[in-house]
Amino acid sequence: MILAALVLVASGCALGDDGVEENASARERPAACPSSWKPGWQRLADRVGVPVYCPSWMPSPIDAEIGGQWNSDGVSVSEDKSYLAGFLWHEAGSGDVHVNLRGYPGKTAVPRCIDTTTSGGKTRRRPVPCFSDPQGTRQVAGKEVTVYTVSRDADQWHVTYLWRENGVLYTVSEHVAPPLTFRRVLQNLDRIVGGLEVIRPAA
Amino acid sequence: MRLTRKELLGGAAAGALGAAGVYELVDKLGDSPVRAAAGPRPAEQHLLAEAKLLVHDGIEVIEPPLHHQVVTARLGVRRQPDELARAQAALEKALRRIEERYEVTPAGLAVSVAWGLPYFRRFVPDLADRHLPIDRRASTSAKRPVSAAFDATRFPSDLSTTILERNEVAFLLRSDDREHVADGAESLFADTDGLFELTSIRKGFQGGGFAGGRGLPKEMALAAGIQGADLIPDGAQLFLGFTSTQRQTQGPSRIANFETLGLADVREGYFRGGTHMHLSHLFENVEAWYLDFDFRQRVDTTFRPGFEAREGAQTLRQAPEDAVSDADLKGDFRRVGAIGHSGSIQPTSRLHMDIKGTDGELYPKGSAIPQRADFNTLDNPFFWTADPGRDRHGEQPEAGLHFISFNPSSDDFRRNRLAMDGRLPDGTRLPLGQGSRAQGLNSVIRTTHRQNFVVPPRARRSFPLAELL
Repeated sequence: MILAALVLVASGCALGDDGVEENASARERPAACPSSWKPGWQRLADRVGVPVYCPSWMPSPIDAEIGGQWNSDGVSVSEDKSYLAGFLWHEAGSGDVHVNLRGYPGKTAVPRCIDTTTSGGKTRRRPVPCFSDPQGTRQVAGKEVTVYTVSRDADQWHVTYLWRENGVLYTVSEHVAPPLTFRRVLQNLDRIVGGLEVIRPAA
Repeated sequence: MRLTRKELLGGAAAGALGAAGVYELVDKLGDSPVRAAAGPRPAEQHLLAEAKLLVHDGIEVIEPPLHHQVVTARLGVRRQPDELARAQAALEKALRRIEERYEVTPAGLAVSVAWGLPYFRRFVPDLADRHLPIDRRASTSAKRPVSAAFDATRFPSDLSTTILERNEVAFLLRSDDREHVADGAESLFADTDGLFELTSIRKGFQGGGFAGGRGLPKEMALAAGIQGADLIPDGAQLFLGFTSTQRQTQGPSRIANFETLGLADVREGYFRGGTHMHLSHLFENVEAWYLDFDFRQRVDTTFRPGFEAREGAQTLRQAPEDAVSDADLKGDFRRVGAIGHSGSIQPTSRLHMDIKGTDGELYPKGSAIPQRADFNTLDNPFFWTADPGRDRHGEQPEAGLHFISFNPSSDDFRRNRLAMDGRLPDGTRLPLGQGSRAQGLNSVIRTTHRQNFVVPPRARRSFPLAELL
């Protein structure tokens, strides 16, 4: 094992956390949204009127092509211009890989979701934070992100990275479900957020 | 499986008695708590001498032993008075040999012997009919005599797959030192060569984090690769993050004895100083608990909706004067459509008035009655089982709890457990769906096994009633 690691270092290669070999020049390149994904993210930036973040990497097998095979429903944009871009792979019996990217233009407070419970035939709805149980902050590619371990609505069972920039609240979350563990999700989120490319609205 | 000495020393079950397996790590983690010197040995088997009291988050907590093991068995003896007499003497001798080596304290080793109803039915049925305590309250309700010990049943939140066990005996071993537990278990069954056919071995741990550090539950869950282990708070006494042995949540002194509160009629007194024990195993979905419930919801669910708690607190006040009443519980349900775990049990588990016990002690209103001895486990569902198919045994570690509660009667435990499911003693049924989030902890736990036992007083712990045949 030690020998294998030494050989990789000597050859200028390292293993990515998914075990895929990547070379030094690739690691040094600035994060870049793949050209095939960029048009969709540009249209989104234009539509919501604020910068959006396009990933340069997504956990296998999904990608972040809006309208692509892992995002067949496209992006959901609300009246207030907040958006949700979700990318999902699901296979019964195997688990799923699900990443959501959100933006809330003009908002910096943690948004509220509706918690619905039904007991005794009565349904109760109450507002709760969409992201709660903060587990501290971490620096990822110059962003100070807060890690939330409890998320709601489309982010339920996700770990969420949340940060604020120029009056916009952004989140990236990933579902903790087989085949992924909590630790692996943190690694994935580090890598996704560390590789975001900002896409600005066209003038 | 009947073990000879040779098999015991070399067989799978024998190896499992002292084997560490995944629990080996606990030997490398932290130090045992400093304990006071031992006092006199209690007449009750279920009581631990010199239990340590500490203050955590400003609240008094009883620090239970770190390591636990339960061994269940059927008897490998025939129903003949002379054979039973020899067995009785052999077991008593083996237990005394252990007590010569260890004090009956957390620092030493406490061994409690509990007898299942199948033992009484197979070996001493007539004597059991005459001597087992009668539950006065349950008898009044049923308008017929009800034994203080009856077979466990499934509860509304249990699945149909919950196994109701039929063990004849269970040994509970507790110590701060895992080696003491291993040594006690090995020597006990070696010295009682062939008396017992082991049916299961169950192991676990709790605590270890009150003085700092991660604590055993988190360390062990991380080491075993339990899903959600990273999310367990450092220092937590149990996987689910809250302390469960606040002094005021544990029945004081001899309150759980059959006779103390007058709940049970001990008849001619054979079982005076004894108690009832419920033993169950349940899986805990640690990941769901921490990813699907935020801290506020975990407090609401564990204690009571709206219960006051500092963010991140692990040890919460559970004082007698704060005990939830029947009316409080119903009010909570009307208001928020949910009940908390401890809140739902308190109307039945706490004294409704001051009671002077038969031991002369005054037990104040609001005192807890049950004395719990539950501990976390990575068993799936047991460390070892004689029947892996029936028990759905798996080799992969799973987060769970071996739940042990000492109550004055089976019915007393049953009333508490039914209340947890929203079935109140006055007949009220809070409409809670099976596994619903409104049902407290039930949505993240799954009970696999249950059984009730009689724990005789220490003087009659070995093959109770056999000497009267």
